[in-house]
Amino acid sequence: MEMTKKYWKGIDELNQTPEFIKHKEQEFPNQQSVEDFLADENLAESSTARRDFLKFLGFSVAAATLAACEAPVTKVVPYAVKPENVTPGMPTWYASTYYDGASYASIMVKTREGRPIFIKGNKDFGFTKGGTNPQIIASVLGLYDSERLADPQANGNKSSWATVDAAISKAISGAKKVTLLSNTVISPSIKRAIAEMSVKLNGEGGSKFEHIQYDAVSYAGMREANLSNFGARIIPSYDFSKAKTIVSVGADFLSTWLLPTEFAVQYGTRRNPEGDWMSKHFQFESVLSVTGSNADVRGMIKPSEEAAVLSYIIAALQGKSAAAGSWKAAADKAVAALKKSKKESVVVAGSNHIGVQQLANQLNNILGTYGTTIDLANSINLHQSEDAKALKLAADVAAGKGPEVLIMMGVNPVYSLPNGAEFAKGLKSIKTSVAISSYADETASLCTYICPDHHQLENWTDHEAKAGEYAVGQPTIRPLHNTASALESLLVWNGAASRGGQDSAVAYDYIKATFAALSPAGDFAYLTHNSCIEKPVAPAAFTYTAAPIKDLPKANGTEVVFYQKPAIGNGALANNPWLQELPDPITKVTWDNYITMNPVEMKGKYATTYDQEHGLNLAKVTVNGKSVTLPVYPLPGQAPGTIGIALGYGRGANGEKIGKAAYQTKEYGGHATQENGQPTPIGANVFGLLSAAATISYEASATVSPVEGTYPIAATQIHHTVMGRDSIVRETTLSIFKNREKDAYNEGHKLQKLDKHGNHVEAPVSEFDLWAAHPVEKIGHRWGISIDLSSCIGCGSCLVACQSENNVPVVGKDEVRRGREMHWLRIDRYFASDEEAAVGAKKDKETFSYDNAEIAALNPSVVHMPLMCHHCNHAPCETVCPVAATTHSNEGLNQMAYNRCIGTRYCANNCPYKVRRFNWFNYPSYKKFTEVNPAQDDLGRMVLNPDVTVRTRGVMEKCSLCVQRIQATKLVAKKEARVIADGEFATACSDACPTNAIVVGDWNDLKSMIREKSEGVRAYQALEEVGVKPNVWYQVKVRNEENSLLDHIQQVAEAHH
Amino acid sequence: MEISNIQMLKRFKSLAFAALTLSFVAFSNLVSAQGEGLFKAKCATCHMTHKNSTGPKLAGVRAKWAAGGAKEGSIYQWVNNWQTAAANDPYAAEVSKWSPTAMSAFPDLKKEDIDAIMDWVDAQPDPATAGATAGGAAGTDAAATTAEPLEEENNSWIWIIMGVIFVVIIMAVGGVRRQLKIATSDNEEEAEKMTYGEELRALAWKYRLQVGLVSLVVVISIVVALFQSLYSINIMEGYQPSQPIAFPHAAHAGINGIDCKYCHNTVTKSKSASIPSVNVCMNCHKQIDGEGKPFAGEIKKIYAAAGWDKAGMKYTGKTKPIVWNKVHVLPEHVYFNHSQHVVVGGLDCKQCHGDMTQMTETVKVQPVEDLNKIEGNIQLTRKTLTMGWCIECHGKKDVAIGNGKNAYYDEIHRRLKKDPKLYAQYLNDDGKVTVNELGGWECAKCHY
Repeated sequence: MEMTKKYWKGIDELNQTPEFIKHKEQEFPNQQSVEDFLADENLAESSTARRDFLKFLGFSVAAATLAACEAPVTKVVPYAVKPENVTPGMPTWYASTYYDGASYASIMVKTREGRPIFIKGNKDFGFTKGGTNPQIIASVLGLYDSERLADPQANGNKSSWATVDAAISKAISGAKKVTLLSNTVISPSIKRAIAEMSVKLNGEGGSKFEHIQYDAVSYAGMREANLSNFGARIIPSYDFSKAKTIVSVGADFLSTWLLPTEFAVQYGTRRNPEGDWMSKHFQFESVLSVTGSNADVRGMIKPSEEAAVLSYIIAALQGKSAAAGSWKAAADKAVAALKKSKKESVVVAGSNHIGVQQLANQLNNILGTYGTTIDLANSINLHQSEDAKALKLAADVAAGKGPEVLIMMGVNPVYSLPNGAEFAKGLKSIKTSVAISSYADETASLCTYICPDHHQLENWTDHEAKAGEYAVGQPTIRPLHNTASALESLLVWNGAASRGGQDSAVAYDYIKATFAALSPAGDFAYLTHNSCIEKPVAPAAFTYTAAPIKDLPKANGTEVVFYQKPAIGNGALANNPWLQELPDPITKVTWDNYITMNPVEMKGKYATTYDQEHGLNLAKVTVNGKSVTLPVYPLPGQAPGTIGIALGYGRGANGEKIGKAAYQTKEYGGHATQENGQPTPIGANVFGLLSAAATISYEASATVSPVEGTYPIAATQIHHTVMGRDSIVRETTLSIFKNREKDAYNEGHKLQKLDKHGNHVEAPVSEFDLWAAHPVEKIGHRWGISIDLSSCIGCGSCLVACQSENNVPVVGKDEVRRGREMHWLRIDRYFASDEEAAVGAKKDKETFSYDNAEIAALNPSVVHMPLMCHHCNHAPCETVCPVAATTHSNEGLNQMAYNRCIGTRYCANNCPYKVRRFNWFNYPSYKKFTEVNPAQDDLGRMVLNPDVTVRTRGVMEKCSLCVQRIQATKLVAKKEARVIADGEFATACSDACPTNAIVVGDWNDLKSMIREKSEGVRAYQALEEVGVKPNVWYQVKVRNEENSLLDHIQQVAEAHH
Repeated sequence: MEISNIQMLKRFKSLAFAALTLSFVAFSNLVSAQGEGLFKAKCATCHMTHKNSTGPKLAGVRAKWAAGGAKEGSIYQWVNNWQTAAANDPYAAEVSKWSPTAMSAFPDLKKEDIDAIMDWVDAQPDPATAGATAGGAAGTDAAATTAEPLEEENNSWIWIIMGVIFVVIIMAVGGVRRQLKIATSDNEEEAEKMTYGEELRALAWKYRLQVGLVSLVVVISIVVALFQSLYSINIMEGYQPSQPIAFPHAAHAGINGIDCKYCHNTVTKSKSASIPSVNVCMNCHKQIDGEGKPFAGEIKKIYAAAGWDKAGMKYTGKTKPIVWNKVHVLPEHVYFNHSQHVVVGGLDCKQCHGDMTQMTETVKVQPVEDLNKIEGNIQLTRKTLTMGWCIECHGKKDVAIGNGKNAYYDEIHRRLKKDPKLYAQYLNDDGKVTVNELGGWECAKCHY
């Protein structure tokens, strides 16, 4: 697929018209001096004179005042017959299961008056133990996307189920070859339906019907490797909570690899330095990933070196020697750790090359991890992509030799196949092509029939994500449109059921039957209550057999890695504005796709700094003759000699209706358009650059050449390092933490004061008060937050959860570039710099250069720091508000009364944490935000939380500590005449956190977790020296690493006291 | 049955009915009392005197059985245990097919008891005919309950017309006076010179002190009136929108004594008290159709909404929610929770909504003066449904803490005691811990 995309501001630029060239350098065209403007005689004759203007103004004020006198009549419509389980004004929670072909989790769905409005992880049931990711939390918004198909389509026109079903059934029975191309099917019921279809169509030994599973991002290499080593195409379960040493070679297991919802939870339990033991995490990778940013030791490797790293470790463990690269030091440390932890280790590899996975298997076998951290019996059923079959089908279709009937379910091959463009051409020649898809996307829009599936939240589904777990997803709302469950469609086409309409029970009955046939049979009501049950797993009968290593990655020159971002993933949810606006955990870039390159390598060729006015330079990446042009982002930690480009962008290249937020927008609203008048996609689709041998390969050799021009980029953070500010981020090593006093790594800030003898003495900041304290220490509640920087992995789930809970508007790329993103919670990411080798270093002119401290290290360690309103007990914002719109509650909350706010923004200027966000526009109605803000849509508005005000233009807003949840929790306790239990109150962010890094609670409850955390040795408060007495505590980040420089500095600091 | 009887008595005080009742009371007072009591205790759940409900109507049932060829005494056996009667008597067996719902057995009812019930039942007038004869009398009385949506009568136009008339009169008089003056004047030219305006100015100058004082008063009154009108913006007191169904609270909560929480049943659970869904109405109105009464049309609206086929005594399944006009409207930036106030605060509905048992018209926002008249209400001064009204109450209402009845507040009390100075300060001003002192005046209590 040839990609010669070039970014231009308009048709003028593209065509390089003389006018454009003339005006190119002028930012403000037609500049006119004030004198000229006033001298303009026409001005005096203009129809609106100044006096008229004042008259209009006066009239408008009077009219508005009068209009406000009469309150409008408000209608209220009670239920005709109230459903028994609905209490108006009270939320109803449903346990359900999320699976979209890539992510899987047991979830809880909050509904209000029948509308799902919030999703969180289910902490009580399911093996994901409350783990979610940003995509799962944001998926609730997709339910209300007005561009979701509302009816079945035939040849691009609205049709009816009867017509479509009849045509498809006829086509199936009359065809010689029927192929079902689906994403990984983990539903036992859909599997059963497909098996029934196969039996019916194939009879005995026939080959009329074929089912091929194909995922946009494949794990076939892993399954093939396990086939060669264990004789079965399985993916085992991993348990990172049992691994004392974790070695990951290119696997972003905390964010995008395999089953991150489960792994992040497991990983989080072992990142607490106060626990029995803390895992030691080694990461070898090319693009700095979320997982890599959490590693204790990170080695930068090219993708072609993955095998070498594994071979080197294998050899070292066997006492042999092997060739090593620049990563030797890191690998040696890994070897030492593995030798110590032996079978309590886990080695994972992210590559889709069979050989790399075989080496990982070999290493795991040497260590003896099978049976301890890796469970072959309880295998993972996700990611069953059969690359060879899918690629053959794609080639056949492209060559015009496809099946007569091609049914595509949950896949978008035109977008995600390496040869998607050819496939699209071939698809048109297929007699009957059917897409079971919610959107008329790249593939579906080319199909004869589109049979829209329910949204997950409208659907009965069942899942077997692991051999040992059976789960159901239950509908939380009646289907909004004339859609039908995919399962029902398959059954209908197979003649096994007839359509049940909007309240169809076909899928429900079928799933119930599937469950009833399960042995031992369980109670379906119990199953739906918990959403899942554990199933007995037959003990593993797998033994490791060595197999010849095959299919190792080869490369020369610059290597490009095609990775997934935590928010966009494989691109299926690219139309979700919450996810598009979620800053990437590492680069902090929103709404865009780019080339990541180490800033060291960019010097002299590309700009390494960027801001509101200055964009990034463009570069053209060519792989096997195909190329894309994208901006180059300076990413510290990117392995030299490699670049990274995220998959999942460039959706809807032909203007398909896949959701308004999937396209670029103009400065004053509306979609930016391409040459052909179609909206411009965000970023570029790089699936076309993938190549396939035995399996699809997610890396390639490439040539990179600079391209003229710059590209504006919207990042929420454009500084990279913390510049040695000890009072913001604190970190230490495990050995220091274990062996030294608190002062070594977490020294409280002290000020000088006079004692009663008139001598200068040092005293902690807490002893100094500028004014009388608020009475929050003893009476009532005092709500607080503790954030553990050690276990925070920076995934961004909290941010999306906050957006969902608190009706935070989406502002779009242009506004983010102006620094006007509205997120109440941000996650600051700091790279370590070589200049301040460790946070906490004492700095003086001779030994320290602030200029250099701004530059991140080549391979920096990373800190993720979630930051929200600190609810200071001595809040500087409160004292400067001229209208007392922000005040302090006796429960320690910094309250914001939007109706009182007049928008002076003094408070934001006075906030030391810069967490107040000013509401610049009428986001729910201004045309600039029509494409991005879901609240501008009658359907999209249904996702809003009715307990939280939708703020209007001109007011300041900020984290309220989910005060609506505080009040609700208190009320429940009061009504039940009991005290509030610790842990009962949870904010949206603490609810969403997969690693439980965020702990909230009542600080005045002496036995609460928050009290314990705040008094712990690791607790510190950001910018403590300012003396604002926040109700937010951070826990010092402890790395399980050897850092002699940091050790030295912190021990010297301790000795000083 | 109890409901409909009392309603009947109170609502339709027709002379004929009264006379009938009186004569009846005169000669069978004792029997009647016994019969009425038993009927209400045992039968009224399912039976009505003159109408079929869950069970068939009971008026003249003995005669009906006799006419139908039932065995002697079979009816008494039926009441004691209908199955025995059905086994013994073919007529009774036929009767048992009237409805699939089986009748309860009343083995403790003696023959005399049953006769007493039947005597009383037979003595009751048929409301359909009674209503027809007394239609005129009842009509006027019922008009109040089926109140037309009451709008504030606007009589400002009278003032405008009167004002115009006054101005015309003044001008006419002035004109006449002027003509007379000119006519009587010696110097015609001089008088001609002065226009109306000049004359007015001269006059104003002549009486400048008076004019000045009057102008000052007028200006001040205008300013005061302006401010008052600005303050009254969005004051909801007295707001009484028309409603799709003229629902009389007085009849339901007053005469029939139905508890507010029976219909507004989410008031203890949720932030909204909720307007009852039609299925709640149907719990009673399945039987009470008001036929022959002036408000029957209103009840028909409920049937239409619930999809109730009255003739077939079954639901059609076609429901249509009723669109009410909201009376108590809080701005959208206010969070108010009913259950907080009713369950935790222990407030009676009447504190804010007034005495609904007396409310014959459609609901209106009660003025604070009316609320203050109600016994037991906290006395407030600010206009109803204003923020001043809310926080005034929060400043007066005490919170029962530390009395061992609510563990939540016991804990709050325990913590408060740690700060004796503050606790004393709370108690010293008014001898109680008010809602305000526990954070009831804080913005985020209601605004988020």
